[in-house]
Formats: sequence, C-alpha cells, structure tokens
Amino acid sequence: MSFTHLHVSTAFSAHYGVSWPEELAAAAAADGATALACTDRDGLYGTVKHLKACMAAGLDPVVGVDLAVFDDDGDHRTQVGGRVVVLAHGHNNGAGYRALCRLISDAHARTTGKAGGAVPVAVTRAELASRTVHPETLKPVLTVLIGPDSDVGRAMGGRRYLRPRTLFKSWLDAMPAGTVAAEVVSQLSPPGEPLSTAHAVRMLKLAAEHGVPAVLSNAVRYVAEDGAATADVLDSARTLKSLPELSAAPLLQPNGQAWLKSAAQMLQLGKEIMHAAGYGAADLKNLMAQTGALADRCRMDPVTDMGWKQPVVPEASVIGIAGDALAELTQRCEAGISRRFPGITGKPAEELRSRLDHELRIIDSLGFAAYFLTVAEVSRMIQAMGVRAAARGSGASSLVNYLIDVSQVNPLQHDLIFERFLSRDRATLPDIDIDVESAERHNVYRKIFERFGSERVTLMSMQNGYRARGAVRDAGLALGMEEGEIGDIAKQLWRFSARNFREALEEKPELKEFAGRVGQRDFSGNQQLDLLVDLTERLDRLPRHISMHPCGVILGDATLLDRTPVQPSGLGLPMSQFDKHDMDPMGMLKLDVLGVRMQSAMAFAVREVIRLHPSKAEVVAAGAHPVGPDGTGPDYIAEDGSIDLNAVPLDDEPTYELIRSTHTLGCFQIESPGQRELIGKLAPREFNDLIIDISLFRPGPMKSDMVRPFLEHRHGFAPELYPHPDLKPVLKETHGVTVFHEQILKTFDVMTSCGLARADEFRRALGNDALEGRVEEFFRKEARTRGYSPEVVDKVWGTLKAFGSFGFCKAHGAAFAVPTYQSAWLKTHHPEAFLAGLWEHDPGMYPKRLLVAEARRLGIPILPLDINRSQAEYRVERVAAGPDRGKLGIRLSLNGIYGLSGAELKRIVAGQPYDSLADLRARSRLSKPSIQRLAQLGAFDSLHRASGGAANRADLVHHLQTLQSRPHRKGIDVIDGQLSLPLGDVELKNLKAVLPAPTLVDTVRAELDLMAVDVSDHLMASHRPLLDRLGVTTADKLLALRNGTEVLVAGVRVATQTPPMRGGRRVVFISIDDGTGCVDSVFFHEAQEQAGPLLFGTRLLLIRGTTRRTGPRGISISASMAWDLSRTETLPFPVPASGIPDSPELQPPGPLDGISRNLAITGLGG
Amino acid sequence: MGMFSESVDVVCAPSGQPLNLDWAGRHYTICAEPVRWYERRQWWAEERRAPLGSGPGLVDHEIWRVQVQVQEHRADSPGPESLTLDLTRHVGSGRWRLLRIHDALLPSRKSESA
Repeated sequence: MSFTHLHVSTAFSAHYGVSWPEELAAAAAADGATALACTDRDGLYGTVKHLKACMAAGLDPVVGVDLAVFDDDGDHRTQVGGRVVVLAHGHNNGAGYRALCRLISDAHARTTGKAGGAVPVAVTRAELASRTVHPETLKPVLTVLIGPDSDVGRAMGGRRYLRPRTLFKSWLDAMPAGTVAAEVVSQLSPPGEPLSTAHAVRMLKLAAEHGVPAVLSNAVRYVAEDGAATADVLDSARTLKSLPELSAAPLLQPNGQAWLKSAAQMLQLGKEIMHAAGYGAADLKNLMAQTGALADRCRMDPVTDMGWKQPVVPEASVIGIAGDALAELTQRCEAGISRRFPGITGKPAEELRSRLDHELRIIDSLGFAAYFLTVAEVSRMIQAMGVRAAARGSGASSLVNYLIDVSQVNPLQHDLIFERFLSRDRATLPDIDIDVESAERHNVYRKIFERFGSERVTLMSMQNGYRARGAVRDAGLALGMEEGEIGDIAKQLWRFSARNFREALEEKPELKEFAGRVGQRDFSGNQQLDLLVDLTERLDRLPRHISMHPCGVILGDATLLDRTPVQPSGLGLPMSQFDKHDMDPMGMLKLDVLGVRMQSAMAFAVREVIRLHPSKAEVVAAGAHPVGPDGTGPDYIAEDGSIDLNAVPLDDEPTYELIRSTHTLGCFQIESPGQRELIGKLAPREFNDLIIDISLFRPGPMKSDMVRPFLEHRHGFAPELYPHPDLKPVLKETHGVTVFHEQILKTFDVMTSCGLARADEFRRALGNDALEGRVEEFFRKEARTRGYSPEVVDKVWGTLKAFGSFGFCKAHGAAFAVPTYQSAWLKTHHPEAFLAGLWEHDPGMYPKRLLVAEARRLGIPILPLDINRSQAEYRVERVAAGPDRGKLGIRLSLNGIYGLSGAELKRIVAGQPYDSLADLRARSRLSKPSIQRLAQLGAFDSLHRASGGAANRADLVHHLQTLQSRPHRKGIDVIDGQLSLPLGDVELKNLKAVLPAPTLVDTVRAELDLMAVDVSDHLMASHRPLLDRLGVTTADKLLALRNGTEVLVAGVRVATQTPPMRGGRRVVFISIDDGTGCVDSVFFHEAQEQAGPLLFGTRLLLIRGTTRRTGPRGISISASMAWDLSRTETLPFPVPASGIPDSPELQPPGPLDGISRNLAITGLGG
Repeated sequence: MGMFSESVDVVCAPSGQPLNLDWAGRHYTICAEPVRWYERRQWWAEERRAPLGSGPGLVDHEIWRVQVQVQEHRADSPGPESLTLDLTRHVGSGRWRLLRIHDALLPSRKSESA
C-alpha cells in the first residue's frame, strides 16, 4: 500500500516549511510512495527543486500551492478568510500548470513587493473559480482543497455547527463543479482544538453530506518529528513574536505532528478518524481511494506539462528578423569581420574563418542562433542608450560574440576556447553576462521590458537563506532574549555557516568569551545560550525571503507567464518566483545584466574630463596622452574631448607603472590588500599579466599554493618545469603552472585526443565524487596508450585533479581585466576625475573616507562643502585661490549628508547661488536641523567670510540653535524682474564672536558624524602624541625597514577580510589607515588567539607585528598582538628608565569618540 | 484537577493502547475506551538543549486519557469509583507517568509527592 501526501510545505515556504525537497522526496520514496506533492505557501518557490528531487527518487511530482483567499464578506483588500491548497491537474499539456502559474500571479498582483505591505498575498474566490477550469473546454484543471486552515476549518472550533456548513456551502456555490475536495487532517492535537481528530471528523462529515470527495493529508511542514522545534522557531520569526508570547496567544502549532508520516501511519490515522466518526471500513477505503484518485489526477509530466529542459527564446519577429535565424547570425558575423578585422588576409584570415565556421556549426546544431541574436539585440539596445556595457564570463570565449559586438575581447588574441562556453555535448543555454553602469541598471531593465514586451520578460529572483548573523538574531528573538545582548553576539559572528556554530565556538578566538558563557551552564540565562546555539544551527541556510536577483533578467516568448508565476519586485517590475537554479530545468533564457559601480564611476570620470577640458587638445594635455606622429593626439579621444575607453590600447606604460606601484586603491579588482600584495610580487608588464593576476587571486589557486611556484618561475628564481614537452605550448604563458580552465581542456586533449568538447565535460566532472573516477580511468588508459610514461600520467593527473574544480576560466579573467586596465588608466591620466567618479559611485571595498586619504597622498586638494559651490554630486573644480591655486581639486557633494532629504537637496541646488542665510531659508526651505548641520560642516563659511562678520563657526552653530523656529514664510520668493538689494548677509555680519572656534578634532568629528569622511584633517592626527609615546611606526616609513623588524603600527580599520588560505586555516587580513597610508596586517592562528574579540569589533587598532616584504614595493605586517587604541589603560606604554611605568594620563577625546551612527567610517564589514 | 508527575506501570495492548495499570500500590483496569492526543511542551523553558536530530518528544508528548476503576473492592467502600487520569508515555524510555487526575474525588493519598 502506498500513500500520496498532497499537502506538503518545503523549506521554500519561507518562515514556515522546514525540510528540503530532496529530503522529502527521499523519505517518501523510501516508504514506497509513487508520487509526492509540493504545495509551498504563496508560490512555486520550491517546485522546480521538487521536480528534480522527484525525478531523482523515481516519484511522480504533484504541484500545487498553499494560498490565502480573501474573505468574500470582509474588506477585499486586506481581510483573509483562510488558506486553501490548490493542486494542478497533470497530463493535460500544461493546462493545469498554466492555470496554477496565472493564479499565483493573480495572488501577488496587488502587493507592492516591498516588505511590510498592507495588502496580503491572496486571491479572491472569484479569481480562484475562474482559474480552476480550462478557458476553452471548461473542464477542471485545478482542484481546491478545503482543509483545516480554510475559513471552513477555522470555523470548526467551539460549538458552532451552522457556520462551517454555511461557509462550505458558499464554496460549493462559488466553484465550478468538480473542482473542490475536502481535506481531512488530524494531527492528533488535544480534543476540540484545531487539527484534532474531532475537527477532522467534522470535515469528513461535511464532505459526505454534500457529496464532495474527501482526501486525507497531514499538512506536512517537516520530514520527521525532529523538524517540529525548527517549525516553532520559524513561526516566531514569521510573526516576530517570541515563543513564550506565541505559546500564550496561543498561536503555535498545537503539537509537533506535522511530519511526513508513513503510509502505514496515515492509514492508522484514517482508521482513528473513521472510528471517531462512527464510520466503518468501507468509508476508510473510500477516503484512501479518493486520496489516491486525486493524486493520480495531479501527477505531472515534467516534459509535456511544464516544459522541462526545453529552451524557449523570443519569437524571431520580436528580435526583428524575418527569415532564418542562423542565416541572419551568419550575415551579422560577416559584417563583424570587416569591422573588427579590417583587411585581414592570409593565414590569420583562414584561422578566423575556420574558427567562425566551427562556432556557427555548433550554434546551428544546438538551435541557439535566436539566442545569440537576442543577446546581441539587448546589447545593441544598451549601447544605444549611451550606457557603458561590457560582456563578462565565458561568453568572451566566443568569436561570434566578438563579431556581433556582445563582447569586447578578441578570443583569438587571448587563445580562448569556444568549447568552454558552448559545445555540442552541453545542451544547456549558455550564460552571457553583460556588465552595465550600476546607476543605469534599472533603466536598462525597464528598457528591456519595453523592447520585448512585458509578457516576454521578467526579472529573476533569488532565495536569501539564513546565515549565521540572521539565524542567531531570529533564534534569540524566539527565545525572548534581549535585543542588545543578541546584537552583541551577532556582531562577533564572522562569515561562517550557522550549521557549525557550536564547532565555531570552540575554534574561533573572537567567540571565546561567548563560548565561556555558554559553557558555564549555571541556570537562569545560560541555559538559554545553549539553546540559542542549537536553534541557530537549526535555522542555517533555510530560505528567509526572495528578492530580485542582482542581475538576472528572464527572456521568453509570449507564453513566459504561463510557465512561471511572477510577483512584484521591490523595483516595481515583475519578478519570477524561480531562481537561477530553476532556469535551466525550466528552459528559461536568463541574461545577466549586472550593475557594476565601477562602470558608472568610469563613465562619470569620462564626463568630468570633457566638462573640464572640452576639446581634444585640452584632454591630451591634461592627461599627458601621447601626441602621436601628427601631434594631434590619439584616435580614442574625439575632437570634443570625449574618450572612448574601449578603444584605448592595452599597452600604456604609465598605467602599468601605476599598477606596479601597488597604489591601486580604487582600481577594479586589484585594490584589496591581498591583491595589492600579489600585484607587488607579480609586477605586471602587459595585459596578459593582468589576466593571470586576476585568475590567480582566487580561492583555488591561493589554497593550493599555485602562486608561489608561478612567481618563482616568472621571476626566474627557479627553472620552469613541464611534465612533458608536449604540454609546453599549453602551459608556457603561465610558466608551467596550470592556472586556466582552458589549459586543463588542452591538457586533456593533448594527452588523450578526446577533443575540446569532451575535455570540458571531463573538467566539469573533476571534483565530483561520482564522476571523477571514470574520468581518471579514461585519462590514464588513453594517455598510456599514447605512450606517456606512468610518472608523467601520475603527475599530470595530480595537477588536473587538484586544479580542475576551481581553476579559473581565462575568458572570465580576460573580461575582468578590461575594466581593471581601464580604471588604472583613468587613475594614471585623470586622477581627479577618476577619484570624483569613485566618490560619486563608491564602487570599491573600502570606506569612502579612505579615498580622501588617497587624494591627500596624490596631492589633490579636497574642497570643502560650500552652499553655493557644492552640487548634488562630486565635481572636479579648478582651485581659484590659495596655495593650491590652479590645481584641480574635488568639491564635496551635498549628497550623503546625514539627515538632508532628497527634496531639500534638490531645492538647494535649484536655488543656487544664495547671497545670505535668509535667502537660503526662504528659497530652499531647509529644515532647521539641516541648516545647523550644514553650518557645522562649514557650508556657510564662505558666505560668512563675505559678510565680513567676526564670529566663527561655533558662534554660527550656536546662533542657529538658539534661533526661535519661525513660521515658514512661504511664497515670498523674489518677484520676477525685481533684483534683491545686494545688502550682504546682515544676520551673519552681526553675529557676535563669543565662543572659542571649534577645534580641529571637533570639526573632524562633525564631518565623520554627518558625512562619514574626515576632510579637514585625518582622524588619526589627533592621536599622534599618544602614538609617539607608544613608539608607533607610520605606514610611509615601513617600506624602508628591513624584513622581519618588530614594529607597532596604529590606525583606523579600513578593511577586514578572511580569504580562504592554504591548509584551510583561517587567516584574517586587517588593513588600517594612519594618515600616511595603509598598513596591511595579517593575523595567523596564534595572533587571532591573542587578539580575540578585537579582531572584528574594534575601530581603532594598535597592532604589534613584524614586517614582511611582499615585493619590491610591497610590505605588510605579520601581527602578533592587537589592542583597542581607545582603551588607553590597556596599551603597552614603554617602561621609562625610572622603572615606574607612566600612568597613562587622560586622553582628550578623539574624533571618533561619541560617534556611533555611521559604520561606513570604518571597514567593519556587514 | 490535580497536577502530578509520578511513575505508573501500565500494561498495553499490542496496538499501544493501555489496558490496565498499577499506581500507588493498587491495581486499576481501564473501563472505557481511552482517548489519545499529542500535547505541546514549553520545550524552550524546560530543556537545555534542542540540537538538530533530537528526534521526537521535544515539542510534544503523547497523552492518554483513561478512565480506570480500582480492581479489588474494599468491604467498607460503596462500590468501584471510576477515575479519569491523564497519562504520558516518555518517548525515550517508554516509561509512563501520571500527569493529571481529573475527577473531583481525589484518592486519599497525599499529593505533595509531586
């Protein structure tokens, strides 16, 4: 006997279901089931995973949803009557699945897509009724289960016999015949409570009375009893109430019986219900038979019902072609040859031709020509918008992509292999990723919707699962712990999986103190901490909510919305309920349109260059660009001064000089401490070096110690070694070390003649326990028969096995290296515009304030906030007076000041210039606090100076504070045509000079507090006397020290990273900035033990360590100990000759004291 | 209703349903069909640990409500009274405990042993 569970929530019912589809399917199959349903709440979030799991377990999938229904008598916008389960009928060419998708989209159509919206996800009964039958044949395609959580079931409590009956009848009246069944559930809760046998009996009798089929279910939330506690915690997270509160309400599940019971247990349950109802064996048989019959009706055929693995692309007419897609693609490639390779002849032309034919043949055999045309169309559309776009990913391996302008990398030049991107053996739609300016991303999305039609486009979603911090917060909430206490614990959790919380407690130094408290186990509070650890582990990875994927856009034909339910995203555009893992199974074409801040920053910089230097000659002079033989400058600068970044040759020597100097702060991909160290060692000389650098700085190569041998060979410290002369051409560019996927493919091909397509399949199998063995067998056998010695085969296999699973695709590296080079080029030639772009779009990993330090280092003046000169964005400005006169400086932006609203900002800029405070007040209508803050930041200093007043900034702030708030004087704008008298600012002029001027520390504190940057002075400057007493070495002096010198360094944290390292032991990189530069320090295991909670919790650090030379221009600190610089009493002051330690006198408060608002000041991470 | 938690020896049918029991030195038989349900526990207050894989019995416990009559009559008693008891079976050990006595007339023994 088998039983089909028809009501099952998976973990993808966020904050409700506990178990993964794979667990549920495996358990059902083990019990002998032949089918299993997935009915997640509010959507098909787990459906595709369920399909996959069922197919793997040999089950027929049943697909449905658990949906809220509006109360017909209540407010239709907000009041929900109850929840029902809706199941799609199968084997009807997708009619059931289509109706289900549309129904779910209906349920979401009125919601806002924003958290905390007032409108619930729900359908009206009329919508439900209209979807349950086929629109043409009018035959039922959905079945609605009226169960314990429906309005009928909810009315079962107490002694109201009439109410549930009335409600049930109104369902039957409203729904088409044959679309309703009663869902009988007993979770054996106490008699008379919801989900009790007594309620099940009443539902059963109601069904019998009206001749409606009844089915048995267990309303499953977890695969086994153990999940019940997790479900309790999820209920708490969903309702934002603690377990004690929920229990008192009572709102918790009545008990822990909502698990996937076996067929025998379900039969036993059925017996108990029948017994309690006074029914007999025939009735039991009938209930079980009806359950089975509905299950049979709902068995889905993944292929014919849901389009499993059948790629769907937009109709040819939509991408603007009339004829055959392949012919069109071929023709566009031909046009591309004359554009990209003008005048190519001879052998290169032959190679080009044969490569193109090869690619087109594969594209043709897969039927993907329309896909390429679609991508080309999107790419063309973005460029036509004037937005910077660059292809990334393995798409750069394709010559076709280069020829149709999707990619900017010539695959022939960099030896990129098409098979890494697409081959006959890989029938999945390939990924082509397009990077666009982040600031334009949403506009690009809207344009795609417009271009292809909203019925063919939707955004992709992503599942956000619990990670350690969120899990500990919600576990703490469930236990009713104090928010502050939980916050303190959460802060210390640093990038590990919640599943290993208890393990982490033992290992991680920063958790030592917390572990001690857990370990004490006296009663009262600590019992809770122990539970907290267990509950945190229970939540690990469970989906919390879906959100718009940062880049995925799904393109389909006019049937797209029959194949995926959609719901509003935060952006307003519809978003699919499927995530990236669901794309390929559902045959969905996904395009990654990724917003890259660096692209925006570069676009901004280029615009600033033109604005300042509006002609080619000026740009050439300002950027020190080569004037060329005719003296007019390079072709990539247009007559109006605009720079075509993509056309800049990749061999600019000053750019490589800058990169080698490791002053790469702000440059794409190469600004992290680890990368700067690697860049220093590698000393790139050409573009290929950048590709190698980016490919090496990956978890795999770092972990497996590929970097050291590579560098030794590169610099000639050790001879290059090749396992066999045949492999020399493959490995030469990386000096015998395997770095790229492309090299792995070629190695397979050289030694086994397997062809590149199969080689890529082999590469994918590496690291897969099930498949790797077979690959090894094949490789060894084939290589042996081709005469390679056992030693060579052993050695090469070792390399393939080690690097195969995580090496880097060279095409990715090449695509990444382009913006890396372009950003470094801009920093070299137009540093002011580039820095302004960085400030405006903040693309980097560091807090913005570090860029101020970088500007200082480069000698670029930072111009203070000024009510008349500052704009809504950072601007480059020629300094008019003072010591920096004539230089280009960067004017601070009014954007990003704490508390200043977007509307105020707009009004300020619209009203500029102002001749007085009164003028500003009248026309910008700023709030009082905003005016005060602007005063504190010195935005009125120039007005003030102009007025000739004698008072200082402190007097002005004080004046503004004491000013009575006067009623707004609306509508006294200066009347057109009437000039206001140039009186100067009487208010400012008459200010009395009373207070002492703010100290530099005060000013810097205000800047940090309100803008998160220290402009007037470096925030460490006021700590200088203390640091001198401690004997601290500054960053600029480090390079002159010998390797291995013990030093003390101090500064404000700017970055914290824990990259994966060799040997699997965690290494913590902390970078601090002391005003003279950055110090990168590394904490190995021992030092982490010493530093403990300081590792992740402190802003100002004093670090002791020894210098490590990392390259000709690079030095870092290997830390042994760290202190919190703000806790003066703990610091290691040198003992003076007298032998009596200095008593640390009270430190004057530093600029960071008293600021808790803005974490963006330091690099503490998220 | 009194609240107890004390050990009882219960004899069950093969289906798991209680048949008779020994409690406080006396033997009782079950005189009406028992009712069974699962009742929630305040596990977050009662337990120190709730690790993954704890298995059943953390969130709820199985309750049997039985009506019993003492088996041997005493000469002075007016006849066998029936009592309604709530019993719980511990998941791990299978041992039974008496949770509640429902009827107004409590037996003469002291209840502070709880």
